[in-house]
Amino acid sequence: MATTTPAPTRSAGTDPDGRPTTATAAGHAEPRTKLLLYGLAGVLTVLVFAAPLLWALLRAFQTNDVITAAPSASTFLDLTAANFAAVGGTAGLGRATLNSLLVAGATAVLTAVVATMAGYGFGRFRFRFSGLAFGAVVLTLMIPFQAIITPLFMQLNAMRLTDSLLGLVLFYTTVNLPFGVFVMRNSFAGVPAELEEAAFVDGAGTGRTFFSVLRPLVTPGIATTALYAFLASWTEFLGALTFLTQQQLYTLPVALLNLQQGAYGAVDYGLLAAGALIAMVPCVVLYVALQRYYVAGLASGSLKG
Amino acid sequence: MSAATPRTGAGSTAGTRGSSRYGTITHRSSTGLLLVLPALAFIVVFVMVPFVFAIGISFTNWPLVGAFRFIGLENFAAIPGDTAFWKAVGYTLLYTAIVTGPILLVGYLMAVVVRANRRGSTVLRTLFFLPYVIGLSTLSFLLVLEAQPGSGAVNLLLQGLGITDGQTAWFTSGPLATALISLLVVWGVSGLTMVLLLAGMQAVPREVHESAEVDGATWWQRERSITLPMLRRPIAMSLILSVIGSFLAFSQFFILTQGGPGTDTTPVVLAIYNRAFVQLQVGSATALSLVLVLVVALVTAAQFWLLREKD
Amino acid sequence: MRSRREFLALAGLAGVTPLLASCGSGVLPAPDTAAPGFGEGATGVLRLWARSDTQTGTQAVVDAFHASQDRIRVELTPVLGTQYVTKLATAIRARAVPDLLAMNDIDTILFIVRDVFTDLTELVAQLPGRERLSPGQLDLSTLDERVYGLPFLADNSVLWHNTELMDRAGVDPSTALTSLEGCLDAARAVRELGADTYGWSLAANASGIIGFVTQPHTWAADTDVITGEVGSQRGAVEGNQALRAVLEHHRTMWAEGLMPQANFSDTGTSWGSDFTAGTVGLLPGNYFAAVMGQDEAVTSRTGVSLLPGPTGGSAFFTGGDNLCIPRGAQNASAAWEFTKFALEVEQQSKLPAGGYFPVRSDAATDEYRATYPLAVAPLEQIDTGYAPRTLSYNLLYNQPDSPYFEMFRRAVFDGDVDGAMASAQARYDRVLEQAQR
Repeated sequence: MATTTPAPTRSAGTDPDGRPTTATAAGHAEPRTKLLLYGLAGVLTVLVFAAPLLWALLRAFQTNDVITAAPSASTFLDLTAANFAAVGGTAGLGRATLNSLLVAGATAVLTAVVATMAGYGFGRFRFRFSGLAFGAVVLTLMIPFQAIITPLFMQLNAMRLTDSLLGLVLFYTTVNLPFGVFVMRNSFAGVPAELEEAAFVDGAGTGRTFFSVLRPLVTPGIATTALYAFLASWTEFLGALTFLTQQQLYTLPVALLNLQQGAYGAVDYGLLAAGALIAMVPCVVLYVALQRYYVAGLASGSLKG
Repeated sequence: MSAATPRTGAGSTAGTRGSSRYGTITHRSSTGLLLVLPALAFIVVFVMVPFVFAIGISFTNWPLVGAFRFIGLENFAAIPGDTAFWKAVGYTLLYTAIVTGPILLVGYLMAVVVRANRRGSTVLRTLFFLPYVIGLSTLSFLLVLEAQPGSGAVNLLLQGLGITDGQTAWFTSGPLATALISLLVVWGVSGLTMVLLLAGMQAVPREVHESAEVDGATWWQRERSITLPMLRRPIAMSLILSVIGSFLAFSQFFILTQGGPGTDTTPVVLAIYNRAFVQLQVGSATALSLVLVLVVALVTAAQFWLLREKD
Repeated sequence: MRSRREFLALAGLAGVTPLLASCGSGVLPAPDTAAPGFGEGATGVLRLWARSDTQTGTQAVVDAFHASQDRIRVELTPVLGTQYVTKLATAIRARAVPDLLAMNDIDTILFIVRDVFTDLTELVAQLPGRERLSPGQLDLSTLDERVYGLPFLADNSVLWHNTELMDRAGVDPSTALTSLEGCLDAARAVRELGADTYGWSLAANASGIIGFVTQPHTWAADTDVITGEVGSQRGAVEGNQALRAVLEHHRTMWAEGLMPQANFSDTGTSWGSDFTAGTVGLLPGNYFAAVMGQDEAVTSRTGVSLLPGPTGGSAFFTGGDNLCIPRGAQNASAAWEFTKFALEVEQQSKLPAGGYFPVRSDAATDEYRATYPLAVAPLEQIDTGYAPRTLSYNLLYNQPDSPYFEMFRRAVFDGDVDGAMASAQARYDRVLEQAQR
């Protein structure tokens, strides 16, 4: 049953019986049934995963009346860009998008910087209380922010950081730090000591060692941290809802919530769909472009813990 | 990885394996601390302090407007009789029980499909993970449209398949709402499990699978004896994340049902939020939050212990 | 970070400090409203908080204010309605309050009992036209005969009817709609007109709307669902015959199919659309639901009356915004000047353009009656307007799990009027007791 045809690895071909195969590393032939199952899984996936998202795309171009009415062949494909034109209107979705971009971007940068520093410190230095300090980081992971959101609100209020995008950025950074520190610590720990040694011998201080020698090696970790922080802040909801008062400062999830719960009058579902689409775009784009880092970050997290 | 990789946690500069190289570079000690300080500052200010603050508030009846008074352990004493809270706890447990299994199963299956690394695997992997990247809150907003009776995609689909008349008002019934939300969550979150498991699966060399296949082992036998043991850690990780995530669920319920009808779909975090920001009883809400923190910590610890590596 | 002990001490101190800071040293100082020139010729910036729900109405008045003078600039901050109370409470605690609050009238009492608003009684006494102000709305901000807030814009619930359908069904609105019994007959008659024509429509899955449109029927019979003075209230559900009649009326309508099926799950996101489409005979609702943004074809077949009681009488819900000046306001003089401006007949008579009713009965000038014929009814019987003044309005009526809402749905859709009323009584008492501790 198994052929020993020395077929090249991972290339398609046909086995001696003429059936199409995908050759594996050991030159094994795969029967058609497996291929069929795989194909079926593929089709199903596209249906279950891609279809809803494509549907959402369609909805964003329909008006509220079309969406809320039972579908009829004539009106269903009556597509219009009106929803996107209304984005700048009372619901303030345009401004909310800008706020979200600002906050998520600032959080990504700040988290990356602080986590990298901490990762470097934990990963390659010995100092007193490093255990205690790292314990504090782990503890943070244990305390879900939902549980401390009320006293945090009081506290931020006393610090004049509520109703401010800065306050939100600081909050999001804190929330994303534990994961970032983990990733960066692993990242730094994976660098061979000899490289640092060599740099030190050449007279480089901590700063230069980092910038010239270590940085290229830990860049994937930095990218992962920044990416995570961005995506987490972009869709974050409860914090933004609690800490922001002024409408001008709302981030996109909060603006969409207000829209959906009719705070601006009757709900315009077309506008909501358009807003949700806008919320989806950066996530999808960033993810597809930087998949490598995203997946690697998670993987390293799960294996090394 | 170099054997001289310094591991933190020892907290001393004594001559342990590999550290002698650093022991001589004395200035590095303080630099390490300096590097770590910003992160610590964030954590102390924005997590530790509110936590201590929370403990303080839980002993008062802080009414948000006006003066508060210390009432000692009254908030905590009231917890056993707090029916609204226990209803929310029960609902959260039910919800967690419903989604945890499917999330793991679906994630596992997705990982199986993707790990073979055939043509199109990357596309599939991207698609599987996309909902997770988009986030539950955005997905919930989309579901608002699609759960509408008569015009939403969910009802249109069911009507087309002849299962219902297409007029189901999903969010006016606790069980229906829970069912739909659970479906949404499984769809939107399994991707994470897939990624976590994939890393573990890909660590299994192909040859091992193949030689087992040659020996006549069925797919299920192969999975059980080869893959699953290797996946102990990623499965543990994924379960822990999934359970904690379910315990702390908020967005999808807030957006889709606001905890209704009545309080039939109110999870714990939403109950606490309402207690604090709608009923304006901050003291009581904080006491409940502390209980939540304790429960999450206990459950996580228990999971770590149960799923630990038994070498 | 010399030692673990120091670290903990630091953390402990850091934790206590905000607590202490938030205690505050007592109440904020009240502005001196008796000072000469108060509310005249003020200058500077006026920081005004408005509800996002009523933002357009407030904005229109602000624009008119800016057009009428250039000494005061208004800085309008829209605050989400559901968060207004929380945001205001924390602003007060942080001692960083705005100058003027345009807030939901039923929420004002929450703050008045805590003594955080300015006493406006003397100022109101000198206000021309004060006797014309909506007593229902004014009462909501009055405690122990002292006034702490003034009506600003009104969002009232009235009974809209489709004149064409009434005509075809042979119903005379002016006689039939004076009692719930009459309404029931009218609804039945309209329902007979066709399978797609309904007698009555309610957004029955929207707690806020149900509280808003169904309560006045009970008030028209001179009784309320809450009894007692603020601070020592109880539920008045059990034994309330008027309330029972209201619940049974709606139950009958639902059981007889006089209301569209869609009402059951309607959360009000397109409130009134069935009425304006011409398929419903009677719609209890506000100006927005039935009139705002509708064209001539719709408004010409729309009639209005107040919400009747079971056997007679009429009432309407005095919702809307009141203007309050918080203690500690920095520009209270400008705040009062704006308030006086907003209450002028000229400004009030333009409110229906934004979807609101005026708060003074003399806004119904001849010109007003000609321009907004459908916005006159509440003004003519402004004394019958009412809304319950209680510390727990939000919890009792507006939340998805509110006792009133739950009682209504159980009585109307499950048919269990007795059970619904009994359990509502218990819940009312519990909620009120909790808030009044």
